[in-house]
Parts: sequence; structure tokens; C-alpha cells
Amino acid sequence: MNNIFSQIKRSKEMGILAILVVISIIISAFNSSFLTFGNLLDVVKSNIVLGIMSMGMLLVLLTGGIDVSIASVISAVTVIIGRFMVDYSSNIFLIFLVGVVAGSLMGLINGLLIAKLKIPPIVATLGTMSVIFGLVLYLTNGNWITGIPQNFIDFGRVTIGQFPVAGSDRIQGIPIQFLFLLFAIALTWFILKYTMIGRGIYAIGGNRDSAERIGMNSENITLFIYTYEGFLIGLAGVVHTSIMRQVDPNAFIGFEIQVIAAVVLGGASVLGGYGSVSGTIIGVSLFCIINNGLILMHIPTFWQKIVVGVVLITSISFDVIQKRMHDKKNIRVDIDESESSFKRLSVVQKSTSQA
Amino acid sequence: MNKDIQKNTKQIGAPQKENRMRRLVKKVHLDTKELVLLQLLIGVFLLMSILSPGRFLSVYNLQSMAYQFPEFGIFALAMMVIVVTGGINLSITYSATLSSILGAVVLVALNNLGVQPLVTVVIGVLVIIISSIACGAVNGLIVAHIGITPMLATLGTMTLFEGIALNITKGGAISGFPDMFQWFGNSAILGIPVPLLIFVLVIIATYFILQRSSFGAKVYMIGCNPTATRFSGVNVKKVLFLLYIYSGILTGFAGIIMASRYNSAKESYGYTYLLQSVAAAVLGGTDISGGFGKVFGTVVSVLILQVISSGLNIFGVNRFITDVIMGMILIVVLTINFVNNRMEEKALLSKKVVTA
Amino acid sequence: MAQNMFLRMHNVSKTFPGVKALKNIDLEVEYGEIHALIGENGAGKSTLIKILSGVYQPDEGAEIIIDGVVQKTITPLDSLKRGIAVIYQDFSLFPNLSVAENIAMVSRVEKRKKIVNWRETNQIARSALAKLGLKIPLSKTLSELSVAKQQLVAIARALVNDAKLIVMDEPTSALSRGEVESLFSIIRNLKEQGISILFISHKLDELFAISDRFSILRDGKYVGTFGEDELDDDRLISLMVGRKIEYKIFEKRTLVDPIFEVRNLSKAGNFKDISFTLHRGEILGITGLVGAGRSELAQAIFGLNPSDSGELILEGKRLQVNAPEQAVQHGISYIPENRLTEGLILKKTMSDNICLTVLKQISSRHGLIEKEAQNKLVEKWIEEMHIRPNIPNMIASKLSGGNQQRVVLSKWLATDPKVLIVDEPTNGIDIGAKADIHQLLRDLSEQGMSIIVISSELPEILAIGDRVLVMRRGKIAAILDGKNLTQEEIMKEAL
Repeated sequence: MNNIFSQIKRSKEMGILAILVVISIIISAFNSSFLTFGNLLDVVKSNIVLGIMSMGMLLVLLTGGIDVSIASVISAVTVIIGRFMVDYSSNIFLIFLVGVVAGSLMGLINGLLIAKLKIPPIVATLGTMSVIFGLVLYLTNGNWITGIPQNFIDFGRVTIGQFPVAGSDRIQGIPIQFLFLLFAIALTWFILKYTMIGRGIYAIGGNRDSAERIGMNSENITLFIYTYEGFLIGLAGVVHTSIMRQVDPNAFIGFEIQVIAAVVLGGASVLGGYGSVSGTIIGVSLFCIINNGLILMHIPTFWQKIVVGVVLITSISFDVIQKRMHDKKNIRVDIDESESSFKRLSVVQKSTSQA
Repeated sequence: MNKDIQKNTKQIGAPQKENRMRRLVKKVHLDTKELVLLQLLIGVFLLMSILSPGRFLSVYNLQSMAYQFPEFGIFALAMMVIVVTGGINLSITYSATLSSILGAVVLVALNNLGVQPLVTVVIGVLVIIISSIACGAVNGLIVAHIGITPMLATLGTMTLFEGIALNITKGGAISGFPDMFQWFGNSAILGIPVPLLIFVLVIIATYFILQRSSFGAKVYMIGCNPTATRFSGVNVKKVLFLLYIYSGILTGFAGIIMASRYNSAKESYGYTYLLQSVAAAVLGGTDISGGFGKVFGTVVSVLILQVISSGLNIFGVNRFITDVIMGMILIVVLTINFVNNRMEEKALLSKKVVTA
Repeated sequence: MAQNMFLRMHNVSKTFPGVKALKNIDLEVEYGEIHALIGENGAGKSTLIKILSGVYQPDEGAEIIIDGVVQKTITPLDSLKRGIAVIYQDFSLFPNLSVAENIAMVSRVEKRKKIVNWRETNQIARSALAKLGLKIPLSKTLSELSVAKQQLVAIARALVNDAKLIVMDEPTSALSRGEVESLFSIIRNLKEQGISILFISHKLDELFAISDRFSILRDGKYVGTFGEDELDDDRLISLMVGRKIEYKIFEKRTLVDPIFEVRNLSKAGNFKDISFTLHRGEILGITGLVGAGRSELAQAIFGLNPSDSGELILEGKRLQVNAPEQAVQHGISYIPENRLTEGLILKKTMSDNICLTVLKQISSRHGLIEKEAQNKLVEKWIEEMHIRPNIPNMIASKLSGGNQQRVVLSKWLATDPKVLIVDEPTNGIDIGAKADIHQLLRDLSEQGMSIIVISSELPEILAIGDRVLVMRRGKIAAILDGKNLTQEEIMKEAL
């Protein structure tokens, strides 16, 4: 009974999972190195940021919103913590604090515009994207920040456990950044399932008017969503910097579409109300494996954009067409299938024609 | 100025009484808003002229503006016609650059083959227009026939178009057009820049299609209530499909001007126009939720934004800061709209009860 | 007597800026009573309910006693805490959440919970459903349930907060006959548990079947409260409208010139084997209970809800109708039941609305609208239909219900249809305007237009239908001659 919500989407998640398995088989048929521990670890490591950010985007999509400013926010976060650790302090805790506070504040701004000023999410976040990216590029001039303190670099190199890599003598551990991904997933899962705000997010996505009528504060919930999303982006920004060991203000241009595509692929309905953490994990995995497969199959990186676009369009189309089929099948009238009514009909017609 | 307003409102509604009634009845912002926009345009123009008289009002600057804003204006109209339906078209700039890249490939190939320049240019332009129609048709198909929300549909096609464009250019720019192609972006007829002429034609065409034709009437109605419009026997899918194609064609024109002005084609040209187009449409009084919006307002807003960005450029303001300001303008305008609507609603509410 | 009252509202008035919506209303509801609140649209029922649920504050001087406690003010939360639960027409449920969560949600919010306890959620839901004697799987998603079951979930939700008075706003409007019966037995069951019900409905037969007492509002004023034995249909109606409704009964005609034929029209889950003929100048009434498939049939003929099989034949020509625009081309028009969302574009002007169906007529060869032609057309219809106020640029949402309906009618009459289908043409329109619309339909039929009128209101069908087609559970139950037809004869076929 604990899985009330996952039951709803189970069938859909299973479908995506099946696609995931099929694609994995196809890719490994082309390239034997795909299904190795080392490659999968690389896939995970290079997509930790995507994974963390997709959790925030899930919340946004659940209420029928959207956020195209996330790439600019994470760029800003990386620049802020980059400058902070180069110029002020290399204290790991402070770096994280600065990152998540900066991210949360930018998220809060989006939230205020959307919740309080009722600006449609797409337009509000398009606006903040322009403002934040503009500021980032103005302040950095597009230049990279290097000279990251050694203790932060060391922190980013920490691994957990030791696993032998098949076919070589190398020994690999799970990177510490993976813990942050787990943290983001667990926290989001807990919020959605066990807090009133989380249930409120589903309630608003399902029927905003009703939610407000029974006393839920949709404005506050919207504020929470975008702030929490900003918080996760802040976290992702620090994690990203710990992996890359430098800051490229242009690194994330166009990244928002990848995040949205991955979450939508995971079954989150863009009309709000439906979507789950488990589905999003599967969607993000599928998305990453497709991308990884392209690389392994030596398909030019320019194809990646096309794949993202096609994946986004087809997965939503699938959703919409499925819904339409479902609506069509919907029985509107309980038709009387008994034969007797035929007889009655003919009798009545006779009687009226005689009259 | 005040006198002007009076004269103008008088022209609109003949008898004074009906005019008052109309004002009660009709959304107030329609007619007065356009006047406010014109005043705003004159205001920013004067401001820039006063702050930098020598350079802003120079022939050189005015001329360079006249070459710059047409492509922006065409993008803004391509955006605006879709916003009127309650949608948004995020793919405009990539639709333009993909089309111009396809055209560029043909232009370069024919040029290298030594085909007569005129023939080359005509074929190149045709390819751009046909490509832009195809881009619009893809959008229309997904939005109108499959029924995906425009925001996500065009987010997807935007990425798709960019991806295809990148695959052709491999990230670089395509150049090597016949010189004649530069005519579209850099020449003038009787002193009037060709891009400006194209823009004027686009304005007239869009005005007639949207505000004067029966097709346009359907577009506005769909923007207000697609269900009731369908119940009225309007083929909503067809109207939307055609409108997305029209939006696509406009991006084709913008693509021609951009490719000609830069004498090359690249996928990222004009990227910043996306946001500015939304800003211009919204600033121009287009209701972001659909149903209302006029060509005139959008065009004046384009001029306002262009004057601001040119002015900032002259003051030596960093171009990234211009982006910041454009984003701020969008947010501020929507905030003002929100406050206005609130007040209007309040006024309406008290009125509604009286008649109830 | 006074101690038996769960709710006493005395001298309740509500003034909005410039208008008095309620004037000195009294309403008393006993413990364990089923109390009907009735009145025409705009009589003040919903304002009164909103005061009761804390959405509006009454004017000064009102006395409200709930469960023996004098309430100075009522906030929505007070209202809930004092045991008043309002079930609105749309149920206010969450389609994407489970049955259990839907039932427990209000109490969670009310208790200002931060963390969700799923075990408690299920317990709450289980005990609420048990009180109603219902078995609905707790983990089922709400959208997978039928409308009737969803309503039961809404009632269960009301019980969670120990509701002592459940207000039901038009609870039967979307239910089939059988479902109404089971709803009533649940309501009676609640009554036995001492819970009071305030029942709002327009269906008099249902009201008489279930209610103990009736309180009647008219034009924001309190008319009185009556026991079941003090009233009958006629008296109730005359108290409601202040006069007895008598539709003018038009003389029934026998028409011979068939123009439109529907042959074996079927659509799975909608209707089956529908065949009938419509004559030139005829008004055919289609009636039946809600859920009998009337609107589905009409929308199939109009192409909004294309049928699976069957034929439509107009003037001997077989029609292909898969979309509304095709129907319009053939001369078939459909005026939907829901004027506000389907019939009109509320934000646009009367002129825009009237012209939408005939844009071609008022456009030049190049597709440009000719202002003069448009104004002429609009003026003509304003004149002909007596639309008031006669301002073409009036925004449609500002018009009264009757005038809105006239705009919708104009919009379709402008297409000069051969077959006009009107779905509940007088729903929510005041009585005077109803008679006008009846007369208008009759006049149109005299001019040769063939009209199908779909209506739940039998007196209306009897007044204007030359013949009456009765639908039952997706099929034709009978086609009756309108001459000397009675409500009883129709009901016999419809049930």
C-alpha cells in the first residue's frame, strides 16, 4: 500500500524500462565495451549533474510549469563558487553553502515571478535566463576560471570502494559525486511522497482549483518548487565544478533542453499531475545511454542535438496520442445491449403510426 | 500630446456616447495602449538623442539601425502571430538559420559551378523559403495535428533544427555566396534599405492576414477559445497548421536578410532575437495567453527595443548587459500587465455585481 | 423544536457594491434532515452556500447558529470545523491521486500536517468508506472511477471531518437513474446517522423523492420553508417563479416532406442503431434521461464526435460528416448545451461571435473581411433577435444569459441551416426569455427549417415538439407523436 503513486505509473515506467533494456542490448551488440563496469561508471559520472537537475525539473513539470533558465542558473552558480574558492576560501563546506544559497536565491526569483506576478513560467524563465546569462558573460567575459584550490580538487577525486575493472589491471571506485546524486534523489523522493508540500505538488498538478479550495497555498508551493529546484542546481553546480576542476561559463548553453527531454522521457506529463522519481531515473538513464551509445558508435556529436529533439518530440507525441486513444475508448453512455428494446421500439412506432 | 490622444480616440468611435460605452465594454488597453507605446517610442528616441546627440542622431547610426531592426521585426511578427493563438514559437531563430544554411549550401555549390549569379541567387532564395515552409509545417504538424503544447513542440523542433544545421555546418559558418546575394541585406532602393522594404512588406502582409482577413479572425478566436471555435465549424487544425507555416515563412525572410548581411550562414545567428521577439510581442500588447494582439503594437515595440539596444551600444554598454536589460524589460512589462489586469479585474468585479 | 436545529441562519443579507444579493434570508436545518434548497438561477442559492461555507461574509445583523454555537464570523476553516462540508458540482477532487488520498486530503490540510502518514491516510479512507457502506479500492486512481463513484468519494471525504451537514450542489446532474437511486439510499443512510443534508437540485421529481422539507428562494428573498406534504410540483414551481409556468403549447403539425434521414447510426460507448427521419419544417424533440446519449448523437450528426457506422442523408444525398466544418457546409448547425465554453467566445465581442460562422459571406474574394458587410450582418441579427443592449462591440461575457443565447442562435441562423440542432436551448435562461426562444424556434420551422430540440425539460419538449424521440441507454426507446402527448407517456419510455 506504500506504493500508491508508483502503482499509477507502473505500466508506463515498465514500458520505458523495456525500451532501456532493448536499447542497451542493441548498443552492446555494436560495441562490447558498453556493458562494462568502467563504461557504465563513466556514463553515471558524466551525467550526475543531469540527474540532480532532473529531480528539480520533475517538480516543476508536475505542476504544469517549465523552467528554461536552469542552464543559466548553473552557469552562474559555477562562476560564483569558482570566484569564491579562488578569491576567498577553499573551505569545502562554505563552498557548498555558497553554491546552494546562490542557486536557491535565483530559483526563488523565478518562483516569485511565477507565483506572485503570475507570469507564465516559460516567459518568466526566458526572462531570467537572459538576465542571468547576460550577467554571467558580462562579468566573466566568457573566460574560464582556473586555479581551483587543491583541497577542492582532492575532494572531487575521492572515491568510495574499489572495484576491479574487467579486462585491465585498473581498480576503480565510485566517485564521491555519486553520493550527491543519491542524496538529491532520496530527498526529492521523500519530499514528494512524505511531505504535505510534495502531496500538494501532485494535488495542484491534478486540480489547482480544488487544491486552493481545500486550503492549500498554491503560491507557496510554487515558490517552494522553484526554490528547491534552485537549491538542487546549486548542488549540481558544486558537483560539476568538482568534476571539471575549472569553470567554463559557456559550458551549459542548451543544457535545459536535455534536462527537460530526459524528465519528459521518464513519463512526467507536461500537463502536470503525473510523474515520479523512479520514472525520472529511468528516463534520465535511457537518455544518457542513448547519448553514450552515439559516442560509442562514433556518431558525430552534432547528432546529439537531433537525437534530443527527436526524443523530446516523440516521447510527448506518444503521451498525447495515447491519451487521445484512451479518451476515445472512454464509454460515455451505458448502452442497453438487450434485444428486448428492439421489439419495444417497433411496437411503439407501429402504435404511433396508427394514431 | 494630449490633444493628439483626444483626436485619435475621437476618430475611433464616432459619437461620444458610444465611445464611452465602448470604453466600458472593450478592454481598455487596446486603443490607448498603442498610443502609450508611440509615446514611449518617442520618449526613448528623445532620451537617446539627448544623452548622445552627436552619435545617436547621426546619419550613420540611423542608417545602421534601419539595416538592423528589420530582421528583428520579422522575427517578432513570426513570434507574435503564434502568441495570438495562445502558443509560443521557440524555434524561430533556428528555423531561420537552418533555412539559410540549406540555401547557403545551394548558393555556394551553384556559385562554384559557375552558374549565372542571378540564377544562383533566385534558386538559393527559393530553397530558403521552401525550407522555412518545411520548418513551419513540421511545427504545425506537431502542434495542430498531434496536439502537443506549442511550448514543448517548438522546444523540440528548435533543438532538432539546430542539430540538423550543425550537422551541415559542422559548427562553422558557410560563406562564399555570389556578391549579388548581398543585395538583400546591404543595398538600398531610393535610399531605403532593402531589409526595411522587406520588413514593410511583411508588416503589410501580416496586418492583412491577421487583422483584416477571415483567416485572421479565426486565429484570434482560436486564441480565446479553441473549443468554441471548433464548435463554430472552424477547422482549427487547418488554421493552426497554416499559421505555423506563415510563421515559418517569416523566419525564412529573416534568414535571407541575416545571411545576406553577414554574408554567411551559421546556426547561432540571431539567437538573442528569440527572447527579444517575445519581449516585443508582449510589450506590444499581445496577450501571452492568446486572443489579443496587434501588428502595430508589435512593430512599435520592435522600434522601441531597437532604439534602446542601439543607444546602449553607442554608450559603450557591453552587449551582454544589453541582454540583461532586454530580459528585465520583458519581466517588467509583464509585471506592469499583471498589476494593470489586477486593477482592471477589481474595477470589473465591482461593475459586474452592479449589473447582476 | 429549536434544540433540534443543527443550523439556524436568521436575517442573513449580503450586499455587493451596489446590489443586494440576499435579503433577510432565514434557513433552518434540523439534525438528520434532508433539506432541499431551491430557486431559479440567480435566486441567491449559491451566495447563501458561500456564506455558509465561509467564502463570503454576510452583512451585519445576520444571526448564524451552528450546532448551538453562535457564529460571529465564519471562515472556510470554521465552517469545516463546525461540521459543514460542501460538495461542489465538480467534486473538487484530484484525478491523479488515489481514492485514499482524495478522501484524507482535506483532513490533512486542516490538521496542518507537514509530514504524510500513509497508514493513517488509509485508515481514514477506509473508515469513511465504511460509514457509507462502500467498497472502493483505496489505491485506485480517481480518474479510473466512474463519475458516480467519484461523487461517492467526495461524500466520503466530507464524512472524514465529522460533517454534520453536507451541502450537495446539483449532485445528480451527471448520474444515471440507477446511480441516482444508490446515491439516494446513501443519503438516507447518512440521515439515519444523524447527518443533515442540504440538497440543491433543479429536478423536482428527485427533490420530492428525497427531501423532508423545502426552503425556497426567489430573487434573493426568502419565500418560505414547507414540509413535503404541503407542496406539489405546481405549487413549488409557482413559489419559485412567483407565477405558474405555462409554456404556450404550439399546435402539432403532421409533416410529410422528409428532408433529413439518419440511418443505423452507431458509435461504441455512445449510441447504437439510431434511425429516424426529419421533415421539412418540423420540430423534433429529443429527450431522455441524462446519460441516454442525446448530446452524443447530436454531436455525431454535427461531426464533433463522428459515428462508427451508419448514414446521414440530406435531401437524398448521402453526407460525409467527420468534422464540424463539413456539417456546416451541408447546412447542418448545432447549438451546444454549454453556451459559455462551447457556444460563445466570451472575451470577444458580440459582432465577432456572430460573424464567426459566416466569415466567408462577409469577406471579399481575396478573403478580406468587409467591415460594411460585417456591420450590416450584425445589425440585422441584433435587430431580428432583439439582442439587448444593441451594441455590436459589447463583449459577449457581459450579456445576460438570454441575450447570450440569442447571439449563439444568430451566429448559427446566419448560416441559413437546413437542419438546426439545439441542445438544451433554454437552460439557465429566465422564463420570459424561454418563451421567446420557443416562439423563435417555431417561427423558424414555419419558414421551413427543420429543427431538432434536445431537452431534459419535458414541458418544453411537449410545448414545441411536433414529434418526440425518446432515448434510453444509447438507443431509441420510442418516437412519439406530439399530439396530446403527456409527460407520463414520455417518462414511461425514458425509464
